[in-house]
Amino acid sequence: MSTETPAEQILTPEAVDDSSFDVVETYRNLLAMDPDLTMPVAAIESLVLGLAAHPTTTISETLDLLRDLSQRLAESTPNPISLSAGTDLFQRYLIMSLRPGNVPLASKKGTKKLPATDDFTTIRAHLLKHGRSFVANAKAARARIASFGRNLMKEGCTVLTTGGSRVVAALLREAAEGGVRFRVVYVLPPPRPGRPQSEGLDLVKDLRERGVPVATVSEGAVGYSLAGGVGGGKVDMVIVGAEGVVENGGIISRLGTCQIGMLAKAAHRPFYVVAESHKFVRMFPLSQGDLGIEQRIVDFRTDEPNPWDMTPDPVDFTSPEYISGIITEAGILTPSAVSEELIKIWF
Amino acid sequence: MPGAMNSATPDLPYFLKALKSRDVEPCIELLADLLKRRQIRTPRLCALATTHLLRRVLADFRGANADELLLRIRSVGRRLIAATPREMVVGNMVRRVLALIREVAEGAILGSDRSVSDEGLDGDSERDGDSEAEKQESRNHSPVRHRPNLSSGISTFSPLKHGATEPASMVPPKAEGELPGTYTPLPIRPSLQTALTQVSTIAPTAQQMFGLFTQPEIDDDPSGVDSPALQSVKSSGRPENFTEVPLKDIKAEVLESVREILDELESVDQEIALYALDHIHADEIILTYTASLTVQNFLLTAARKRKFTVIHVEGYPNESASTVTTIFGGRPQEFNEELELADEPFKPLTAAGITVIMIPDAAVFALMSRVNKVILATHTVLANGGLVAAAGAGNIVKAAKVHQTPVVVLSGVYKLSPIYPFDNDELIEWGDAGVVERYSDQEIVQKLKVFNPLYDYITPDLIDLYITNLGGHAPSYLYKIVMDHYDIKDVNLED
Repeated sequence: MSTETPAEQILTPEAVDDSSFDVVETYRNLLAMDPDLTMPVAAIESLVLGLAAHPTTTISETLDLLRDLSQRLAESTPNPISLSAGTDLFQRYLIMSLRPGNVPLASKKGTKKLPATDDFTTIRAHLLKHGRSFVANAKAARARIASFGRNLMKEGCTVLTTGGSRVVAALLREAAEGGVRFRVVYVLPPPRPGRPQSEGLDLVKDLRERGVPVATVSEGAVGYSLAGGVGGGKVDMVIVGAEGVVENGGIISRLGTCQIGMLAKAAHRPFYVVAESHKFVRMFPLSQGDLGIEQRIVDFRTDEPNPWDMTPDPVDFTSPEYISGIITEAGILTPSAVSEELIKIWF
Repeated sequence: MPGAMNSATPDLPYFLKALKSRDVEPCIELLADLLKRRQIRTPRLCALATTHLLRRVLADFRGANADELLLRIRSVGRRLIAATPREMVVGNMVRRVLALIREVAEGAILGSDRSVSDEGLDGDSERDGDSEAEKQESRNHSPVRHRPNLSSGISTFSPLKHGATEPASMVPPKAEGELPGTYTPLPIRPSLQTALTQVSTIAPTAQQMFGLFTQPEIDDDPSGVDSPALQSVKSSGRPENFTEVPLKDIKAEVLESVREILDELESVDQEIALYALDHIHADEIILTYTASLTVQNFLLTAARKRKFTVIHVEGYPNESASTVTTIFGGRPQEFNEELELADEPFKPLTAAGITVIMIPDAAVFALMSRVNKVILATHTVLANGGLVAAAGAGNIVKAAKVHQTPVVVLSGVYKLSPIYPFDNDELIEWGDAGVVERYSDQEIVQKLKVFNPLYDYITPDLIDLYITNLGGHAPSYLYKIVMDHYDIKDVNLED
């Protein structure tokens, strides 16, 4: 109880005022309050709070409400991919739980089966009561990924990574604490509007304090770092995080991840993605243009563009052919396993 | 061990005979010793020996419930794996049996809700299977479980770390000073549980993504506040342990399923050979490597209908002798043992009218441009679709890649391991360097370092197709077969 973060504290249903509930506001507050919270989890939490604020009694009323809230959330942000992974998962979860024949209470012998309306109220009560445990679950998943991924870190290896992924940070910290001697090449993106400090500087500082030698390089130095030989980084593997893992096993991640994947493939270095399974998102992009979000990354102009006019947090799509393995809390998956996980819950 | 004084070299038939006459505990010791001394080698023989032993352990086990059975199999499994850590099939068979027990026990939990009559039936058939000799065995069990276990923090169990998927800190430590007869519940790995116990019961495997919505084990909610309804929500989904499943309910069914695994091991080569005509066409040139009964069976089946040419790579120094004897119709020594278990007599390919060309290893690249297909046998297949095969196979698949020649790997499902190769180097076993350079050549031996690796690790992107007894699969699909045959809880057998 004592370890509650601010985000967990506001997640008591009583704290939400019925009339003034704003799902977008809640979502932003949640994200701002807990830097460890990922977008899908924050979105799910917002939906749970939304449920608490709007007392619904029937299933379809609830689903309509959730759909409406999800849409409002998605419209509020320029890049709703990661967020929609959470809202989709939550809606899907409710539908699956309420499906006839999936009576969740039929478990041990002697349990009497309850009528459908009671199921719904039970599930609703369960969700509201344990809303904040989702955060804990998400963090537990991250810890588990870190423990899986630690096996990748061989004594004396060099890892190249980039971005501000919390899972990558957890993994590297766990390895450093576990006494593995390794080195990190950290690719730092240039500062962007709204983000004056490069993502990942905190982790770099943290790792250095723990005695892990870290080299920070610019995005242009990736190819150089992947090369072996004198002066090269002698990188053994690449580990990156992801904002979303799409159906074909590719990932959506910070701009620059795709080119690292390509270079790693060219240099025959394994390219691992660490991501919780709640980041699996149901979309099937084939190229960068299929992400369905507007990012002015390649912007042809005849006039002088305003440098502060760029998309604040641009992402790119890394195709599955560059990915050696996706480390989730359920183990190490090949990219082709992602579609199966998604199919299992959607069809 | 008095029986070991037998004049014949101990091998698999010897072990199977011993299994009939001796107690369980000496049998476990015997098999561990045979594995350690490599007197039972080749994946199939190891798999057969392990499964026969586990079947015996199962039959003789006298415990109260399914959880105790799981623990017993795990502990036997650890001893066998420690004896031969790089022979993955031993671990595979242990994990297969564990997954079977879980499956049957889960069925028993679900079934007990629906029909009560099944229980009586199972109990009866189990009682029939008992014999006087087996009953005596039960006395051995308590001392066994009492023996200082391998449960310390330091892994004495296997020098390999690729099997470990969980840091020791996340697993509850085993109780010290365990009394004879007392039983420690299976170590429950917390976060995995969150992935498996969820509110909805869609399908046992469909739950990973919903893991977020479960009650975490680390929940700090003060107990007692929960309403009864919510508690039942928590405990639904997949059962966490099987302490409530009486052993007698499941034993007969488990034994029957283990019998099926043994049948599978007997017939695996024939089943793989059924696909031969789909893959070998008339007048093709097939390149193969190492003397493998699976590959020979496959090629012979195709040879009944079609004429083709086989290029057999010599594989000096480790494989050359057995390759030559295979081509000329003699039988390599390890075949003899396998064939004693097979129905059909061994026939060389040349007798079936196939042209067989033996080439030295150095000629592989030169000839690859003319080869239509490379068909390889393997030692182990790993969860990522990579494989461990006889040293020299790496050269061949690389050459095939350069020439865009398809590489087909024949492997029974029993060789497919749920282990992810975190460290490729430790999968490789090193053999006797004396076969490369004889120790009698003192001048050379004193001046050179000589190595003789027995295996190559081959990455999944170099393989085009796996043919197992279940059919043909792309390397990226193997994870699915792994999921179907093993339980993720059993990947790490350490306490």
